[in-house]
Amino acid sequence: MNEASVSKEIYLSLQQLLFREARLLSAERYDDWLDLLSDDVQYEMEMPQRRFREDRTQASAPKKTPIFNDDKRSLLMRIGRIKTGFVWAENPVNAIRHIVSNIEVFDSDKADEFTAYSIIEIHRSRLDAERKRFTAGRNDIWKKTASGFQLLKRTVALDDGVVLDSNINFFF
Amino acid sequence: MLLPEKTLEAHDVFAGKLTMDDLETLIDFKTGRQKRIIYSDPDIYQLEMEKIFGRCWLFLAHDCQIGNPGDFIRTFMGEDEVLVVRQKDYSVKAFLNTCTHRGNRLCKADHGNKKSFVCNYHGWGFGSDGKLNGVPLEAEAYYNKLDKSKYGLIEVAQLACYKGLIFATFDKSAPSLEDYLGEMKWYLDIWLDAMPEGTELIGTAMKVELPINWKLPVENVSGDGYHLGWAHAGAMTVSSSSKLTDMEVGNTSVDNSAAVSVAGLNGHAVLAALDGKSGYAFYPDPEIAENYLGKNRENVIDRLGEYRGKNMWGSQINLTVFPNLQMLPGLNWFRVYHPKGPGKLEMWTWAMVDKEMPEGLKSMILNNVSRTFGPAGLFDNDDGDNLQAITEQSRGWRTKQMDIYTNMAIGGEHSRKELPGVVSNGLICEQNQRYIYRRWQEMMRANNWSGIPTYNSLEEARATEAG
Ligand code: FES
Ligand SMILES: [Fe+2]
Repeated sequence: MNEASVSKEIYLSLQQLLFREARLLSAERYDDWLDLLSDDVQYEMEMPQRRFREDRTQASAPKKTPIFNDDKRSLLMRIGRIKTGFVWAENPVNAIRHIVSNIEVFDSDKADEFTAYSIIEIHRSRLDAERKRFTAGRNDIWKKTASGFQLLKRTVALDDGVVLDSNINFFF
Repeated sequence: MLLPEKTLEAHDVFAGKLTMDDLETLIDFKTGRQKRIIYSDPDIYQLEMEKIFGRCWLFLAHDCQIGNPGDFIRTFMGEDEVLVVRQKDYSVKAFLNTCTHRGNRLCKADHGNKKSFVCNYHGWGFGSDGKLNGVPLEAEAYYNKLDKSKYGLIEVAQLACYKGLIFATFDKSAPSLEDYLGEMKWYLDIWLDAMPEGTELIGTAMKVELPINWKLPVENVSGDGYHLGWAHAGAMTVSSSSKLTDMEVGNTSVDNSAAVSVAGLNGHAVLAALDGKSGYAFYPDPEIAENYLGKNRENVIDRLGEYRGKNMWGSQINLTVFPNLQMLPGLNWFRVYHPKGPGKLEMWTWAMVDKEMPEGLKSMILNNVSRTFGPAGLFDNDDGDNLQAITEQSRGWRTKQMDIYTNMAIGGEHSRKELPGVVSNGLICEQNQRYIYRRWQEMMRANNWSGIPTYNSLEEARATEAG
């Protein structure tokens, strides 16, 4: 990551875009969200591991396990499932809020690509008094195109070593 | 066949202290009935910890997870925390993960490599063999009188390995692992012994905490093909590249002759399609897997014989090792459930593959396991709410007095010369759940292992059925 930060103009447009994206995701406006993703988007989140800092075997640690390792096709599959209307866990609607903060935007080696770091906090209110909360860091690569910014890659760093909800029928 | 439920008075269900008579009323094997209270009652749960998790052989780790001396995994046997450590001589030891001084947790990492484990509280140091080696201020504070040999880590009672899978039990009198598994080994071998180099787990455990009683996911995967076409209708619609036993989304049709439910295997159970390829029905691009199956089938037939090699290797199969281990060759996931109280569990899922699979196939499998049955799994995400609701629907004062039923296909049990165990037709059949709960009841009421029957066939299962 190039630590030199970008022009105000780029920063503000990406900040607005991340806020807008959060609103689209909270509102389940998945078609509009898909429009923000490049056709060769990589969307990744790994299962966190708790290891000792000094662990000598860090280098040969077991292969990390993805929670998400998606391209556009598999994201379409996930969204297609939700759209079938057969995902009973999402009926009635679960209220969900995506809160984005700590946004930083940096230049990359490529003139039209920018790195954005942000923190996302997701709240879901489910049946009765049930409330679930997720926090994660996100590293994005956004590409500036003629029709606006498109997400090339998102790497989500989830905080929990044990996932605390029985489904992740939503996106980070 | 379905027994109409009588109107229960409050005193019809046991209240407070659990008696032998109560245990008899909780399960009815013949009619396929369970009392809902078994999913919520704290006394029943405590008894399960003692009689089931305190006595059964429980899965600890796959050989490949602790390949080198000093490698360790932190896991659970029931609610007991256990440290599984590869020794210098490559044997394996498992200890309670607890310091013998004041009872602190010894190791907080999930896995790694350590020469010794030093307690964070006062610094007692234990070797990877469990011996207490170091005590700070031993001379000044203990006057050199502490007999360190008496304060080593506490070991499990028995530890054994079956084809790469390491199990342990807290019960010295438990039968050998081989006897415990019985004829289930014949089915486990379809995965563990199909290829000469065996299996390996890839990646680390995907862990999810669920507000669910531990028995519910076990019974679900052991035999509930019924929920596939309905609970998973959304996932099946988008992810199927072929049909599993001609099952239609919405449960409008199925070919129950194309698969079997097998139980009566000392409490273990199997669901199996018999087509040799449907394990890859829920992969969007099954071709690499199909090539692999095609290329190796002759060898597998040599190793496992005609029937298993042709009809079962490559099929969608659900394998349940009582009480809490399940693995699905084909979908290639491997899972253990750790109970955390009557209404809570932790579910750990890995991808498991044949070591000899090409790298491309292994990565595809890892991705598909996570995409179908991981924390954001298209299928797994459908099960949580249903099983959570069943757990919660066993708490209400009036509701928990109700029965629930696994009375599908009663009377369909038969023997087949090519398959060990008690067989019924189809993936949509509740025979396996009935046998799981039968085993649960047998374990719960027996005072010791000599009171727990062994059965691996219809004949034996009938002969040992409680009256
Ligand atoms: S509790 Fe472990 S050293 Fe005291
Ligand atoms: Fe399911």
